[in-house]
Amino acid sequence: MRKRLSIALAALACAALAASAGSAQTGKRHASVTLNFMTYVWQPTTVTATKQIVAAWNASHPSIQVNEIQIDPNTVHDYLVTNFAGGTAPDIVHDEAADLAGFTKQGYLADIRTLRSATLKQSIPKRVWDAVTYGGKITAVPTLLQTYNVFANVDALKAGGIKLPTIKNPWTWTQFRAAAKKLTKNGAFGVGWGLKSPVSVSMSMALNFGGSFFYKQGGSWVVKVGKGETQYLETVHDMIWKDGSIDPAGVGLSGGSVLPAFFAGKYAMTVQGNYAAQQMILEAPSGFRWALLPLLKGTSQDQMADPQTYSITSQSSHKKEAMQFLTYLANAQNMQKLAQGDWLIPSNPIAGKKLIRSTKHYGSWTVAVSSLPALSPHPLNYLTNYPQFKSQIATPALQAYFQNKSSIADLSTALTSGWLSVNK
Amino acid sequence: MITTRHPRLLHAGQYAALACYMIFLAIPLLWLLSVSFKGPRELVELHPSFIPSRPTLDNYNIALHENDLVHAGVNSLKVAVLTALVTTGVGLPAAYVLARTRGLVARAGLVWILLSQMFPTILIIIPLFLVLRDLHLTNSHTGLILVYLVWALPFILWMLQSYIRGIPRDLEEAAAVDGATRLQIVVRVIAPLLAPGVVVTLLFAFISAWNEFFFALVLLQSPGLVTLPVKLAQFVGIEGIVRLGPLAAASLLATVPSLLFFSIMQRWLTSGLLSGAVKG
Repeated sequence: MRKRLSIALAALACAALAASAGSAQTGKRHASVTLNFMTYVWQPTTVTATKQIVAAWNASHPSIQVNEIQIDPNTVHDYLVTNFAGGTAPDIVHDEAADLAGFTKQGYLADIRTLRSATLKQSIPKRVWDAVTYGGKITAVPTLLQTYNVFANVDALKAGGIKLPTIKNPWTWTQFRAAAKKLTKNGAFGVGWGLKSPVSVSMSMALNFGGSFFYKQGGSWVVKVGKGETQYLETVHDMIWKDGSIDPAGVGLSGGSVLPAFFAGKYAMTVQGNYAAQQMILEAPSGFRWALLPLLKGTSQDQMADPQTYSITSQSSHKKEAMQFLTYLANAQNMQKLAQGDWLIPSNPIAGKKLIRSTKHYGSWTVAVSSLPALSPHPLNYLTNYPQFKSQIATPALQAYFQNKSSIADLSTALTSGWLSVNK
Repeated sequence: MITTRHPRLLHAGQYAALACYMIFLAIPLLWLLSVSFKGPRELVELHPSFIPSRPTLDNYNIALHENDLVHAGVNSLKVAVLTALVTTGVGLPAAYVLARTRGLVARAGLVWILLSQMFPTILIIIPLFLVLRDLHLTNSHTGLILVYLVWALPFILWMLQSYIRGIPRDLEEAAAVDGATRLQIVVRVIAPLLAPGVVVTLLFAFISAWNEFFFALVLLQSPGLVTLPVKLAQFVGIEGIVRLGPLAAASLLATVPSLLFFSIMQRWLTSGLLSGAVKG
């Protein structure tokens, strides 16, 4: 028996070794240039759209082939840190604007001002290009943007006698709060809001009241929780703990985790990234009528422009070819496909118009695309240590505040001193 | 022999306790099985049922065809099997030396093995990456297997050397008197008696490599080389949005090879434990 075991193990080892001999990189074709393109697309529709775009490029550009590397969206930062440090970064990397300041400062991303074509430059509004401009350098092509919107159960609002807002007449925060209060009855809540990851939504929606948390003071950036920030924070906090119109149980959940209760009618509304529309389409029960509402309005409807980005790495030996591919990727037609798959807003307004004309979800897409003018760069896009501040300081501090475990004064202290500590 | 006035009651109680424990262990797996057959609408129901009301095979289709799970599984199997074999092959003679050698070197070696267990992965990943890059071993299964070998070896050495210490020296001395060399003693005398220890080593090394995520994530870049844990992570989106159905199907499929491996090795594990238990 021992002899048979030994023979079986040896055979297995030989087979494995033989297979491993062929474990060289796959996907290489005989081309003069092969570009490695890292992307974190994850929605099935966007994954398919990206593969189709790459396949179409490869078919029409035999001398410049693109090798797509798909990674998990939650590990993008770690992947880039390791590969930049190791000198093995792909030619093109997919990230978001808020993550790029540090990499730009360290010289890992190429300045594309001289590489991008005039057509590409003009196809995207200057305001969106500003979101990826660091000290005068432009180190990414901004592609898709998101907003934070209220999604409403249309039938619940109708039953509650509440009229839906329109693009021309959006809800103010006061109207939103009143509607949520009115819809909180019979065991149901007006709003389900997953606030497990509260930083990005807070940074973005505080702009509705002119609060940006980060301010330039004496040449350096400081954190302040002033009037605008307080107005947003206290409104949400009081909706949870005074009005009782936001379910406190949702505060510890992620955005996606509150959707089952929303579909079951436990919440009349939910606040989500606009990309959650894809989940609404896939997962909502048949007959469930939902609507993507226009951006809430405080003193303005402003929200943060934190676009998804495609950058060329400094380590790339084929920057011109990489730019050619990016120009193709960011054209209106491809931008429309990517935006449609991810339910995100294309930075190219022409792509937005094409999208509205082609989709059956006309109303919601019109609302989404109409939000583009309200998006503007946020100071956090330019802060090198923002990723560390976000994960180590801001997330636990905001979670504690929304869970009613700390006061607004405690939150302010935690954020201001925390920012100083990460910048020592 | 333990005697009791009510043996049937005792047996019934023991079986009931065992059944409860098995149910406790099995429920997560059974739930995973249930989720793998549910469509996206059924998965977000507020009050889910154990038995799918509208079972579907779509999740398995997505996992196998759209996400190339089979290829990732083959990669994982290759890496895990080679890691298990190489680690055991390197560990066995090294453990023999540690077990049989007396002196400062052996003691220092054992202390170093214990200390090395305290290093978290995150601490060494970048220097490790730089070393492998210089050796042109990043983005390759060879480099990954080498990392797994080094990572698993301390625990395996610790485990094997304690097994070897349990084997009487008299057997080796008797073999030496008969003219056996040191290598023959290790191969023909020690190794057969270490069957349970070797099987445990193989299982540990296989499972560690099969389940390992972080090194595979960092060291492998080509899509054709990724292993199963990295492939499974691609079902998780941002802000808590997870493709639960395909993830459940993929996870279930991912357990099959390790279950098969366990069932094959289990026979030798138990037979090794029992051998020599009864004299004559």
